[in-house]
Amino acid sequence: MASQVVKSSIVGTKVRPLLSTTKGDARVRVLGLYKAWIRQATLIPHDYDIPKNEEQVKERIRSEFLKHKHVTDIRVIDMLVIKGQMELREVAALFKHKGQIMSYWKESIEPKPTDFISKFVSGSS
Amino acid sequence: MLRGPLTKALPCARILSPVKTLSTSAINNEKFEVFIDDKKVMVDPGTTVLQAAAMVGVEIPRFCYHERLSVAGNCRMCLVEVEKSAKPVAACAMPVMKGWRVKTNSEMTRRAREGVMEFLLVNHPLDCPICDQGGECDLQDQSMAFGSDRSRFTDIDHSGKRAVEDKDIGPLVKTIMTRCIHCTRCIRFASEVAGVDDLGTTGRGSDMQVGTYVEKLFLSELSGNVIDLCPVGALTSKPYSFTARPWETRKTESVDVLDAVGSNIIVSTRTGEVLRILPRLNEDINEEWLADKGRFAYDGLKRQRLLTPFVRNCQGQLIATEWEDALIAVAQKLQTSEIAGVVGSLADAESMVALKDLLNRLGSEDLYTEYPFPLEGSGTDLRSSYLLNNKIARVEDADLVLLIGTNPRFEAPLFNARLRKGYLTNELDVGYIGPKVDLRYDYEHLGESTDLIKQLASGSHAFSKKLACAKKPLIVVGADLLSRPDGAAILALVQQLAAKVTTDANVSSEWKVLNVLQKAASQVAALDLGYKPGTASIRDKKPKVLFLLGSDEGTISRGDVGQDCFIIYQGHHGDHGASIADAILPGAAYTEKQGTYVNTEGRAQQTLTAVSPPGLAREDWKIIRALSEIIGEKLPYDTLLEIRDRLGQVAPHLIRYGELEEANYAEQATELAKGVSSNLSSEPVDVKQKNLEDYYMTDPVSRASGTMAKCIQAVHKQKQSKYYEEAVN
Repeated sequence: MASQVVKSSIVGTKVRPLLSTTKGDARVRVLGLYKAWIRQATLIPHDYDIPKNEEQVKERIRSEFLKHKHVTDIRVIDMLVIKGQMELREVAALFKHKGQIMSYWKESIEPKPTDFISKFVSGSS
Repeated sequence: MLRGPLTKALPCARILSPVKTLSTSAINNEKFEVFIDDKKVMVDPGTTVLQAAAMVGVEIPRFCYHERLSVAGNCRMCLVEVEKSAKPVAACAMPVMKGWRVKTNSEMTRRAREGVMEFLLVNHPLDCPICDQGGECDLQDQSMAFGSDRSRFTDIDHSGKRAVEDKDIGPLVKTIMTRCIHCTRCIRFASEVAGVDDLGTTGRGSDMQVGTYVEKLFLSELSGNVIDLCPVGALTSKPYSFTARPWETRKTESVDVLDAVGSNIIVSTRTGEVLRILPRLNEDINEEWLADKGRFAYDGLKRQRLLTPFVRNCQGQLIATEWEDALIAVAQKLQTSEIAGVVGSLADAESMVALKDLLNRLGSEDLYTEYPFPLEGSGTDLRSSYLLNNKIARVEDADLVLLIGTNPRFEAPLFNARLRKGYLTNELDVGYIGPKVDLRYDYEHLGESTDLIKQLASGSHAFSKKLACAKKPLIVVGADLLSRPDGAAILALVQQLAAKVTTDANVSSEWKVLNVLQKAASQVAALDLGYKPGTASIRDKKPKVLFLLGSDEGTISRGDVGQDCFIIYQGHHGDHGASIADAILPGAAYTEKQGTYVNTEGRAQQTLTAVSPPGLAREDWKIIRALSEIIGEKLPYDTLLEIRDRLGQVAPHLIRYGELEEANYAEQATELAKGVSSNLSSEPVDVKQKNLEDYYMTDPVSRASGTMAKCIQAVHKQKQSKYYEEAVN
């Protein structure tokens, strides 16, 4: 009997929304952020003097958004949007350095060996 | 050594163990109460003040007292006040009486300690900054804790402190005798545990000196232990001198693999280098001692090492290569089922199980160990045939030991130390079949003929009576003796003898009479995993590929397998195995890998990684695992845990570390051995290591060690000395 009471009380609880209350609401926020980034993308290669062109920057932004395409929780989407906005403001205000922008592409990082033989040969095992 | 029989004859000299002496001398065994710092403790009669204090967790400072040595009572550091006693008493030597109230922290006690400390420091040099004992010095610690905070030492005449000439006592122990505080621990260790009565004192009072009386070296297979025993820096390690301070080093708990005892050790490392090896306490195996080979052969880990893979090119030269090329070159040759594997004395169980799995997948069952063992009868199927069944620690309890074809002093020095302990404290009698060797205790030499075993088994020998009357008899057979062509007959006879003794002497079922003393650290694990002992059948089979896993004893040579055979050597030292190989794969030594070893009594233990393998060397089982993938016969384990799971599947006791897996079915083994032909060869029983110089170099690590070479040189030098005397037995 007691367990039933507890159960019903859990079902009854609602999580407090972060920003959006509906899926559509969240979608609008994401699209807004995406548009803002794409607009910024035209400026980034010039502002930071990086060896990437506008197309490549846009492609990178797109892939970053698509990385989270599986996320369905509205609260998580909202949080990601907030983080994306913070990042965008830093980029737009030139708070970042050239290297920090380039680190989005991670060109200098070698992937660590994962299979046994490569680990053995590289001596990292 | 005329002293041996004399000491044994003298009743007072014979009783040496402090605990035993005092407890056996007690008449009534009722416990009574004493008070240590007003804490009540119930003690047996004969307990010393120091032991009683230890029971309630009060540690009394001491220099000369040591649990495993006889009581000397000459340093006076352990003085404590006893109520209603006018003078303070020496806690280490004084048995407590009923109702005593001992004060270990009273004004009188503290003043006594301070006084003793002051007298010690009057003649102790202030050279702590250049002293190797600094940081682990009892005198340093205790002068900080119990000494006075100011000095009254004013050398107004500039006469200096007492100075004592340093002695040269060998290549292992460095002496700075000015630092000596005359605790006599080294002297007692040498005469009681090592059985070498070379150290002693001369002079009295301030002229007292510890030394060897005459100019000779202190040569013993246990000599390094006096370094640990010395509470000050008078005896320090020569190879380690001025190397590091104890707080700078990283300590890794590991296991010694240079003999089959499996002594527990601590490996001190800094900057990826092994700096020294110290013993680790394990009451079941090595107590707190360590044999000199395990302690000092570590410099061999830095010399003669294989750093890169080598492959022989078409001109017949070994060329250093990368791992990719070496693995592919070896893998091309491995595509055959006519392949045999031989494991050496230092191989760990992980690499052995990986090699066995690989060769089995290739369709070969030819996996051998270097040391032969008879395969007739039950062979190696029943563990009781090849283990030291009765445990190392229980040797002390024996009252009669028959050693057949083994020289435990050099094959297993700490096992021999146990035998000597039993000889001194437990009225142990020893019988010996084999060449006359010096065991540092008296034994009844029965002869060298193998017929003696037959006579003993049939009961026609005079010694049989002794065996039958013994309460706890032991028979210890050397693994070398069983590797002879007539080893099966010898083992069968010894098994019969053991069975006969068990019934005649009415021994309890827990007491195992038959014991085999192994010499190689890998042998028991290899036999447990199903390796076949001995390399004889490789000579008949002539395999196309021979895989040597650290086999360096030279039991198999190029001539045995022919020029066409492709020999792969995997190991850590450029020794015999590498010299005949077509491809060399550099492996890790025992300080560089986490590996499983099973000692001669069947106890699985593991080494831990203290340093990383040098150069391109890799952990052994990983090399075999990598090879298997290149061949296309991928072994199903990638991590240490996975391969240990596999070990557990083959032999579950191999991964129960620290636990002893006892063997059973000794009776069945004896039954099975009855069909074995009992044709003994007329060759006398022999042991390989007869003298001290034979002890130091027995495996690739110690053969590469400069320190061990110096030891052998020192023994030869000692023989030139006019004070050298042959052992008399």
